[in-house]
Amino acid sequence: MSDVTNADHPQARLGDEAHLGETMIELQELTKRFPGQESPAVDRLSLKIPKGEIVVFVGPSGCGKTTSLKMINRIIEPSSGHIIIDGEDVTTIDPNHLRRRIGYVIQQIGLFPHIRIGDNVATVPHLLGWDKERTDQRVDELLEVVGLPPDEYRERFPKELSGGQRQRVGVARALAADPPVLLMDEPFGAIDPITRTRLQNEFLRLQDELQKTIAFVTHDIDEAVKMGDRIAILQEGSRVAQFASPEEILTNPANEFVADFVGTGATLKRLKLTRVREVQPSEALTGRVDEDRETLRRRFDESDWTAMLLLDTENRPLRWLRGTDLRQTSRALDQVGYRARATVEPQATLSDALEEMLLGAAGVAIVIDRRGAYQGLLDIDDIITSIQTMKDAQAEFYRAAKLADPESEVSA
Amino acid sequence: MSTLTPPDTSPASVGDAERRRTARAEDAAADKRQRRAKLIHYFGMPLFLALVVVLLYFWVAGQELDSIETRTLTLDNLLGQTQQHLTLTLYSTFFVLLLAVPLGILATRPRLRRYAPVVIGLGNAGQAIPSLGLLALLFYLFRTQAALPSTGTFPVVVSLVGYSFLPILRNTMVGLDQVDRFVLEAGRGMGMSNRRVLGRIELPLAVPVVLAGVRTALVLNVGTAALAFLFGGGGLGETIFAGFQLRRTAVLITGAVLVAVLALLVDYVAGLVEEKLTPRGL
Repeated sequence: MSDVTNADHPQARLGDEAHLGETMIELQELTKRFPGQESPAVDRLSLKIPKGEIVVFVGPSGCGKTTSLKMINRIIEPSSGHIIIDGEDVTTIDPNHLRRRIGYVIQQIGLFPHIRIGDNVATVPHLLGWDKERTDQRVDELLEVVGLPPDEYRERFPKELSGGQRQRVGVARALAADPPVLLMDEPFGAIDPITRTRLQNEFLRLQDELQKTIAFVTHDIDEAVKMGDRIAILQEGSRVAQFASPEEILTNPANEFVADFVGTGATLKRLKLTRVREVQPSEALTGRVDEDRETLRRRFDESDWTAMLLLDTENRPLRWLRGTDLRQTSRALDQVGYRARATVEPQATLSDALEEMLLGAAGVAIVIDRRGAYQGLLDIDDIITSIQTMKDAQAEFYRAAKLADPESEVSA
Repeated sequence: MSTLTPPDTSPASVGDAERRRTARAEDAAADKRQRRAKLIHYFGMPLFLALVVVLLYFWVAGQELDSIETRTLTLDNLLGQTQQHLTLTLYSTFFVLLLAVPLGILATRPRLRRYAPVVIGLGNAGQAIPSLGLLALLFYLFRTQAALPSTGTFPVVVSLVGYSFLPILRNTMVGLDQVDRFVLEAGRGMGMSNRRVLGRIELPLAVPVVLAGVRTALVLNVGTAALAFLFGGGGLGETIFAGFQLRRTAVLITGAVLVAVLALLVDYVAGLVEEKLTPRGL
């Protein structure tokens, strides 16, 4: 019943029962032995990939993650075990037909250099025998989707494109026949960091619409955390060290190996997973620019705050005022004090908020809504509290898991 | 002062106009250079070869020729031999393509991969034997077989095939091997059958290298076909040999120059074909 071979981690089992929706890809005891090698490259890997999710295979080099991925479309034929896609055992069907139903993106992209971009994208529609009109329409649509205007790019050759553009074509080509399943082998690995971030974000936005089932291989835990709905951390022989959501893996690594692999930056990475809107901001002492100066001064004196946040008539933060600024009368209030910077919107991550805090002079981040109006304050304590809460919630969750799973011998 | 053109814009605009003019002139010059390069590319070699033939003609015409020379150096004679020479070259190249390219394809298939060294070895052997030796070997071999003609076009073509087998075989294998394996993996990963991957991706991408081999083979064959006369195959070798044996320098030189001109011409035409057949985008 477990979705993980070495299921000595109860969270994996519970994750299965509690969260998994309909399974799209199921790997059963998948094994690959290469001739002349002592131990199998992939050793009895069992995994369920839920429909519409991105599952990231991540692990150190040589752990068998790429081999595992390539067995799903049988570019590498498994030595034993089964692959079930959408309820159908595809382990022995014609691999060419299988592959036409699975999008495939590799790091090296592998565009056909002698074929124009449009026809590269049309590879699978050609194989499936679509008529010209339908194919052309689909090609233009996809080039549009990946941000390459068809009229400009359709007739070009791959060598006339930059690396990032080629990878977009690679993604478009994989999506051509609208396959329900995509396999991506380090698709953004060979691209410069700035373009990579952009492509990752674009791809996530695309996935929001497309809801494909995606198996994604990377060696970069940051990419895994960013891209994955679920992460499978693989050890040598493709043994699953942990299969869980990014939050769970960062907050509660199942064992030493996972903790090591996730690395010391785990807490910082976790901050990228929490949005500002999920945290209760604290209140600041505020005053509006159209209020009477005397009123503001009195309010300030009665509080134990050392500064007051001055808002404009639209409630947008203007300046930080100290006592001396309030007591002087020679200059208007919106001309004194410090400018209120370091603002974050609710959909920003805590990581963004922390960065603002460190950059801004006040050591706090001002939460504003979309129109720029003041919502509250975040300071470093709020962030620490939120991390603590996450940890407690996880701990609670695992205690429950232990109780629910009497077979487990691991103590919390 | 203030009514004058602002001083900061005028030099810039002058500079701009200047720059634009220079740029245009440079573009025009580049265009001209390109056109000239193209003309030389397409017409340089034929013009050069024509010039060589014309010079040869005037040189021979300026000599005092005896009766043997006049009899050997007739237009009919030379044209006939040139045609024979070309026929031998083209036949042998055609057959070698027919044999070596499929063999090269087979030898690079994963299942037959391990025989590749054997195949290359055979090709190497073909080329390692001196061309004259190979011709002689075949001559004696065919003499023992009643069914096979031991003289004429047939044995010459067979030996030329043996001799030019290697360049085409090796270039076919190298050409197929140098195709980026990730391009092939992408093709297979999208569900192209092996045959389709071969036909649509591997072969088109190998074409430039294979054609380079064909070009080498053609030139080799033009040279080697000069030995065909020894076995009754005809060709320009007859003129060369006649000049050599009868100590008629004019005849010897005419034959040799014509073989060289033919080899260069064949290479030139093959080059154009290669250019035409190389897929765009490479």
